[in-house]
Amino acid sequence: MIDLEERIVEKKSFFNRLVIIYLFFGLIFIFFLERTYSLQISEFSDYEIAALENKTKEVLVQPVRGVIYDRNGAIIVNNVPSYDLIIKPWKILDLNKFIEKISLVIELNPDEIDFVTENFNQKARYNRELILKKDLTRVEIARFEVRSFKFPNAFIDKRYSRKNNYPHLFSHAIGYVGGISNEQLNSILEDQALDQDETIFSYSNGFLIGKTGIENKYDKTLRGLFGKKIYEVDARGKFLKQTNYIEPKNGGSLFTSLDLNSHKVAYDKMNNRRGAVVAIEIESGSIVTYLSTPSFSSNDISNGISSKAFNALLKDPNKPFFDRAAQGRYSPASTIKPAIGLYGLEENLIDWNFSINDPGYFILPEDQRIYRGWRKGGHGNVNLKKAMIVSSNTFFFSLAYQSNIDNLINHLSNFGFGKDICLDCFNPDLGLLPTPDWKINNLNFGWFKGDTVNLGVGQGYLSATPLQLAYYASVIANKGINKKLTLVNNQTVKVSENLPLKNIQNSDWEKLHSSMIGVIDDPQGTAKRLKGLKTYTVAAKSGTVELVSTETKEDYKIIRENVGNRDHAIIIAFGPMPEPKYAVSVIIENGESGGSVAGPVAIAVLNSLIEK
Amino acid sequence: MKKKLDFKNFSIYFDQYLFISITLLSIMGLFFLYSASQEDFNTVMKQSIFVGFGLILMFVVSQLDPDFYKTFSGFFLLTSIILILATIVFGKEINGAKRWLDLGLFSLQTSELIKISLPIFLASYLYNKPLPISPKHTFIMLILIVFIFFLVYRQPDLGTGLVVFMAGIYILFLAGLSWKFIFTSFGLIVLSLPFLWNNFLQPFQRQRILTFLDPSNDPYGSSWNITQSKIAIGSGGMSGKGFQQGSQAHLNFLPEAETDFIFAVIAEEFGFVGVCILLSIFFFILLRCLYLAFNARDRFCRLTIGGLSLVFASTLLINLGMVVGIIPVVGMPMPFISKGGSSLLSFYIAFGIIISMATHKKLMQK
Repeated sequence: MIDLEERIVEKKSFFNRLVIIYLFFGLIFIFFLERTYSLQISEFSDYEIAALENKTKEVLVQPVRGVIYDRNGAIIVNNVPSYDLIIKPWKILDLNKFIEKISLVIELNPDEIDFVTENFNQKARYNRELILKKDLTRVEIARFEVRSFKFPNAFIDKRYSRKNNYPHLFSHAIGYVGGISNEQLNSILEDQALDQDETIFSYSNGFLIGKTGIENKYDKTLRGLFGKKIYEVDARGKFLKQTNYIEPKNGGSLFTSLDLNSHKVAYDKMNNRRGAVVAIEIESGSIVTYLSTPSFSSNDISNGISSKAFNALLKDPNKPFFDRAAQGRYSPASTIKPAIGLYGLEENLIDWNFSINDPGYFILPEDQRIYRGWRKGGHGNVNLKKAMIVSSNTFFFSLAYQSNIDNLINHLSNFGFGKDICLDCFNPDLGLLPTPDWKINNLNFGWFKGDTVNLGVGQGYLSATPLQLAYYASVIANKGINKKLTLVNNQTVKVSENLPLKNIQNSDWEKLHSSMIGVIDDPQGTAKRLKGLKTYTVAAKSGTVELVSTETKEDYKIIRENVGNRDHAIIIAFGPMPEPKYAVSVIIENGESGGSVAGPVAIAVLNSLIEK
Repeated sequence: MKKKLDFKNFSIYFDQYLFISITLLSIMGLFFLYSASQEDFNTVMKQSIFVGFGLILMFVVSQLDPDFYKTFSGFFLLTSIILILATIVFGKEINGAKRWLDLGLFSLQTSELIKISLPIFLASYLYNKPLPISPKHTFIMLILIVFIFFLVYRQPDLGTGLVVFMAGIYILFLAGLSWKFIFTSFGLIVLSLPFLWNNFLQPFQRQRILTFLDPSNDPYGSSWNITQSKIAIGSGGMSGKGFQQGSQAHLNFLPEAETDFIFAVIAEEFGFVGVCILLSIFFFILLRCLYLAFNARDRFCRLTIGGLSLVFASTLLINLGMVVGIIPVVGMPMPFISKGGSSLLSFYIAFGIIISMATHKKLMQK
C-alpha cells in the first residue's frame, strides 16, 4: 500500500511538472500566435506591399522626342531611328581587348574607337551605356546577332538620334540635345513620380535632354512622358513576364515661328563671317530669323563628336559656339538715332523743321572737347530728317547734349535696351543701358556730359544684342506698339503695349519712317547702295561701330590692318513700307560699313520673307 | 482512447486519434510541399514514400511492448551514438555541416535518431531508481546528456543539439529533479553564458544571434531569410493568396521554403485561417499525448510519452519561433510537414513508441 501511495505521489508530481512545461509551451505558443496575427492582420498591408515590391520591377520606356517645325510646317528637327551597337562599360574589364575582339565582327573606324576610349571610364563609373557604333547596316546587325553570345556586355538596340535637317542653320536658335545628368533625370522622374533605382537608370540611358536654344526652353514639351513596362521578377532579379505596360507619351511637336527659307538666305549671305541676323514678324512679335555665324553642326554635338573635333570648335577664334544673336553685345552706333530723334520730339527739344549747321564735329561746351562726325567737313545745314539720312553725328550730339540723362535712359529702355525682350530665348544677354549709377559703381567714375553726348550716336557704354536691335526696329516700325518676342507661336497670349510717348503723333512716326526710307532711297542716304536690291520700299538705319577711336581716315587705314580693329557693320531695317511686316537687324563684326556690308544681308533676308 | 482489438490471441495496439491526426498532417504536408517545391512532382513523390513507409513504421513500432524498448534502450542509445560517430567520420558534407550518413537508398540524419533513443534510455534508467533522483544519478545522466549534445553540436547542428539536450532535461525534470538543483544550475548557466558565447558558438551562429537581436546590424545579410519569411507570412493576410499562388515561395524569395521555412509558405498561401487550422491539429496531438501520459501504465511509459511529446512540441515551437523571427535561425524542420526523410521517420517512430507506451497495459495492474 505504501508502494501505491508513493506511486500516487510520484504520479501527481509527474502530472504537475508535465503541466508546467505544457503551460510554458502554451505561453510561447500564444506569443507565437500573437506575432503571426500581427504580421498577417495588423501589418498586412505593409507586408502585402513588400511582397509586391519584391516581385515587380519597373522598366522605363522612353518617349520619342517631339518634332520641331518651321513656321511653314517644314520639319527642322526630327528623330532618326537607328540600330546601334551599345556596350555596358561597367561590365567590361579590359576595353582594348574588348575592342580587338569585337572589331573582328564589326569594323570600327578610328573616330569611333577614340570616342569610346574617351568616354569609357566616365560611363563605367555611373553604370551608363555607351554607344560603340551607330547606325549599323543590316549585314552588321546579322553578323553581330549570330555571335552575340560571345559578347554578353554588348547588344544592339533601336535608338533614336536627334537629327536637325539643317544642322548649321539653327545651331543657336534651336540648339542641341545631349545626354542627361543624374540630377536632371532624378528631377524628371520625380515629376512623374517614378522610382529611381539602379535598374531604371541603366535602362534610361540614351535619354536626351535639350541643352540649348529651343530644345532647352521647350524641353518639357518636347521630351514627353516616360512609359513603364512592369515585370514580374524572381529573387535573382530575372525577368519572368511582363505584367503591365504603360505606354510612353511621346513628346509634343513644336511649331516654331522660325522661317527656314530666310535662314538659308541669311546663312548664305553671311558666308561664315562673324555676326548675327535676327528678323521679326512685327505684328506678332515672333522671331522668324535667328542666326549666329559662324555656326556649327548641332547634329555633331547632339549625337556625339570626338573630343578632337570638339576642341577644334572650342578653340576656333571665330567662336562658333557663341550665340551672337542673343548674347553678342554691340554698340548700336548710328542705329540709335531714330530713338534719339523721337526723344527730341517727345521732349519738344526739336521739331521737324529745327535745323543746325553741321561742321563735321561737335564741341562740348564744358571742356571744349571735340566729338567728330563720320564725314570731314560735315553735312551743312541739317534737320532731323536729313540728319537721319546722312547720319549726322553733330545733330544728335547736340540733341543729346540738351537731354536730361535720366529721361533719355528711361526713353531708351522703353525700346528694349538693357531689358529682356524675349519670352522664350535661351539665355539672352541684356546688353547694357548705362546709367550714372552704373558708371560710378562699375567704373568708379562720375557721369560726364560727354557720356550723354556719346549716347546720342549710340557709342560709348551703350550696348545691345542683335535680338534687342531687331526688337527696337520692330517697335519703331510698329509706331511705338511693342510686343515681346517669341520663338514659338501662340504659346502665350501676348499683350501689346504702347510706348509712353505723349507728344509723338502719327505724323511724327510717318516722318520718321520716311526719313529711314531716305537712308536707302535718298541719293545722300548712307545705305543708298541697297536701293536696287529690292522691289519694295524699306526703311533702315545703318551704323558703324567704332572699335578704335581715330581722328582721321588715314589713322583708320593704319589700324584697319588688324582685322580685329575694323569697325563692326550694323543695320536695322523694316519693310515693306508703308505697312512694314518684318523688321531685321544684321551685325557683321569688323564688316566696316553698315550700309554696304550689313545692308545687303538685311535686304536679302527681307526679300526672302516678303517675296515668297 | 486506447484501443486493443482482440483477434483471439492476436492484439493490435492502435490509437485512432493520434493515427488520424498524424495521417491528416502528413497528407496536408504533401500538399504544402508540392507548392513549396514549386510543383516539383519528384520531391513530393519521394516525400510520399517516406510518409507511407513512416505510417507503416509507426504502426509496427506501436505493436511492440514497452518492455522491449526498456530492455533494449541501452542498445538503441549505443547504436545511435555509433551512427553519429560514423557520421563524423564518413558523413557527407553539405553546406559545411556533416549531418548525413549515406545509406545508399537515402541519407540519414543520424542526430534525428538520438532525439528518441536518449529520452527512452533515460526513462528506462530512471525506471527503478528511488525518487527524487540522487545527486549521483543526476550527475551521471547530465554527463551523458552533455556528451551527446556535444556530439550533435559538433556536426555542427546547434538546433538538433539543443533539442536533444532539452529531451534529456525534460526526462530528468519530469522524473523529479529537485527544484533546488534546477535553480542552482539555471543560475550557473546564466553566469557561464559569456564563456559559452566565446568558446562554443561558431562565428555564423553568433552572427545569427546578433542579427536576431538587432536586425539592422547585418553585415553578412543573414537577416535576409527572416525578412523574406516575415514578408511571406505577413502578405498572406487573413485568408492567404491561395494554393500555389505564393509569390514569395514561387519566385524564390523565400529561402529553404521546402524545409525550415515551409510554414511561411503555408502562411502566405492559406493565411491566418490556414495557420490556425494547421496549428489546431498540432495542438490536438499534444493534448492527446498529455492525456496518454497521465494514463500510462508505469513510470517508464509516463516518462517516455512525456519526453517524446515534449521533443515534438519543442521542435515545432523552435521552427515556428524561428520562422516568425522570435528566436534566431537555428535550422529546425516543421514536424510531419517539412521535406526530409530522417526527421519525418524519427517522428513516426516517436509516435509509434508513444502509442505503444499508451496502449500496452500490464495484466497485473488493477
